[in-house]
Amino acid sequence: MSGPNLNYNQNTEPVFLSKQEKRQVKKQEMIKSIKKNKLLYLMLVPGLIYFFIYKYIPMYGLIIAFKDYKPYLGILASDWVGLEHFIRLFQGTDFWIIFRNTLTLFGLQLVVFFPIPIILSLMLNEIRSNWYKRSVQTLIYIPHFMSWVVIVSISYVVLTLDGGIVNGLLEMMGFGPINFLMSSEWFHPMYIIQVIWREAGWGTIIFLAAISAVNIELYEAARMDGAGRLRQMWHITLPSIRSVIVVLLILKIGDVLELGFEHVYLLLNGSNREVGEIFDTYVYTAGLKQGQFSYATAVGFFKGIVGLILVMLANRLAKKFGEEGVY
Amino acid sequence: MKRIKLSKRLAVVGTVTLSSMILAACGGNNEGNTEANANADASNNSEVSTEELDDEPVTIEMMANLHTPETPGDFLKDKLEEKYNVELDIQWVPDGNYEERLNTAFATDTLPMVVPMGFDMFNQFKDPIRADQFWEIEPYLEEFENLSKLNPEILDNTRVDGKLYSLYQGRPLSRQGVIYRKDWADNLGIEEPTTTEEFMEMARAFTEDDPNGSGSDDTIGLTDRSDLVYGAFKTMSSWFGTPNNWGVVDGEVKPEFMFDEYIETMDFVKEMHSNGYMNQDFPVTSKDDQQAMFKNGGAGIYVGSMGDVLSIHTDATELNPDAEYGVFNYVEGPDGEYNVWAIPGFGSVVLFPKSAYEDENELRKVLAFYDKLMTPEGANLLVWGEEGRHYEMEGEGVNWIEDNLNEVDNDIRPFLSLEIGEPATSGRYEMASTYDVKAEADKLTIENEEYLVHDPTITLDSESHITYGDRLDQMMNDATHQYMLGQIDLDEFNATVEEWKSEGGEAIMAEFTESYQAQQ
Repeated sequence: MSGPNLNYNQNTEPVFLSKQEKRQVKKQEMIKSIKKNKLLYLMLVPGLIYFFIYKYIPMYGLIIAFKDYKPYLGILASDWVGLEHFIRLFQGTDFWIIFRNTLTLFGLQLVVFFPIPIILSLMLNEIRSNWYKRSVQTLIYIPHFMSWVVIVSISYVVLTLDGGIVNGLLEMMGFGPINFLMSSEWFHPMYIIQVIWREAGWGTIIFLAAISAVNIELYEAARMDGAGRLRQMWHITLPSIRSVIVVLLILKIGDVLELGFEHVYLLLNGSNREVGEIFDTYVYTAGLKQGQFSYATAVGFFKGIVGLILVMLANRLAKKFGEEGVY
Repeated sequence: MKRIKLSKRLAVVGTVTLSSMILAACGGNNEGNTEANANADASNNSEVSTEELDDEPVTIEMMANLHTPETPGDFLKDKLEEKYNVELDIQWVPDGNYEERLNTAFATDTLPMVVPMGFDMFNQFKDPIRADQFWEIEPYLEEFENLSKLNPEILDNTRVDGKLYSLYQGRPLSRQGVIYRKDWADNLGIEEPTTTEEFMEMARAFTEDDPNGSGSDDTIGLTDRSDLVYGAFKTMSSWFGTPNNWGVVDGEVKPEFMFDEYIETMDFVKEMHSNGYMNQDFPVTSKDDQQAMFKNGGAGIYVGSMGDVLSIHTDATELNPDAEYGVFNYVEGPDGEYNVWAIPGFGSVVLFPKSAYEDENELRKVLAFYDKLMTPEGANLLVWGEEGRHYEMEGEGVNWIEDNLNEVDNDIRPFLSLEIGEPATSGRYEMASTYDVKAEADKLTIENEEYLVHDPTITLDSESHITYGDRLDQMMNDATHQYMLGQIDLDEFNATVEEWKSEGGEAIMAEFTESYQAQQ
């Protein structure tokens, strides 16, 4: 870290250089710093190779979104069709439904789910007894290691109308049975509760780490000034982990794409498809089950662009509020 | 190569001997089996030596649908390899994501030499088939004595533009019917229903009249699952006279849901559902859960494949030895007629992608292997395993050997998905009927052939159907479920039909109609 900084300082005297010369100086500096830190740069190489092979090369396949891809002809020999697949996507009545559903679930993730691990870690942080804290932590991590199939199946058994425990209780209390599994109203609550159930505990890990890094002296000073527990939480803990929260929020937004194909696919049925079908499940049925590779690629491509735009917006917003952002 | 073969053979002989020893140790009455085993052993060895061992075995790569939770052991694979001088490289793919895997293999140009697929996939693959990506096999068929025995009518159902590209796996045309709790019906003094009204009455009585005499309200009539085709719905829609997927009116091909009979069927189910005569969650019920409800005495009526009564009875009597089942097929609709929908005579077809072959001689060798599987001997080995070890003769038919059911389930049954043809053409044994209700079910399956309703689009083409079909089907399936649950009314259902038309349905109807008229 100190290497490049030193170099930089040496060159800050006000010398008047032409644009070209400036550029050249910069170039020389860069080469110098690379030479100086060549081992560090070497350590970057595996990462770069990974990204190149697994993230950049496959992008070549995106061109089938603009072709009528026939596997036996190969990617290059298939016919170009221009924007036909995109036109089909935007003209279909499905499109707006899927778009809306994807954004709704995304909104739920952001507004309902995102704050929960933060609140949970603040609460965990207040626990005095160490062994109790540890065991609670371990217990809330566990659901993360269960697959969605297990979680959805458990929900199914609990919520079914044919002898499910929840509807049994409701009936005993004198309420009519509620059709949780096959209604569009209950899809969203069910979805988000399951996400919280599985991921909330796991999400606390990074926040707890950030909280433990907060300077103890700040708390001591606050206590001297007579701040209570809530005051300390509000004025010290939260501001201290603010940048972590922002970075995680931006990353979360980048995940607008990953609403959990498996999860949603398992929850879908005829009565809730209208609110539950998202891009991921649509790509799966259109692409892999019906073998319409080009069309599915076009849909996936579009989804990717939406995600990219959202991340860029969020990043800009973060910078505006004086935070670091992710790039 | 030879050494490997030899060691394999030793291993097989070893296991057989070992198991005979164990069997012998079990008691005196197993002696017959031991002898049979020894004989089988000897005859196998002699057969192998008469095969031309100098010939390099052909490697056959294939995909296969796996219907059991685990991939089978090597026993039968080794047997087949040894007997027919082949090397089998089988990719077992769980049936649930078979379509996905097949499409992936196709997209990445890694299809194996033998590719089985169901009817829907076959339609989807018509485009590459027309583009000459698969072997046309008709010219070769006559070279093979046993393959040329395949039923020509069913082969015709698998033709693409009049050409033959596939071998088929035969299935009875219609196994649909009703299985019910006979002991419940006897308790309440109900006769087997013969009309839809009586059927409804049975469902009502099984729900409300305490058929199991428990004194509490713990039973329902019908148990159904999410599947509108192989569940109860489609069979019931046949009773009402609905066409099979598509119907022809005045030379025009129309989808089933544009027929009043379809609506009547939905109303029928809706009535049953709202009265609580069937499971309330049926649109999200799996086949396992549906059958479990029937086996453990929660429900009394099951509409589907009548042959299922065997496994249902076996499992149910373990829980409740008094459970008695009955089967019937004949249920008249309001018009006084009985109809039942039919499949095209095959369950799946086997295709041979050209990209996986070097030349036509390789194809000949693969076809030669299938030719041998169409002999009674080959088909019996594939479907039943080894006599004396997995099955025993009983009259005309065969029976699994009870003590060895575990091995049967693990090593033999999965291979059923490799079968081609059917008992009538391959001459293999059929299951002996030790359970008389199953025998009745088999009889009714044959009787069904008098009342069949065929799908008129089996040999018709529609490009739009391939592109939009699944999506549109899903739309109508969803609407059908919603209507039956009372979540939408008839106007909304009809609105969905209009939507179906405008999103590609109209084009599909036009294309099918054109294709239909061209064939007339």
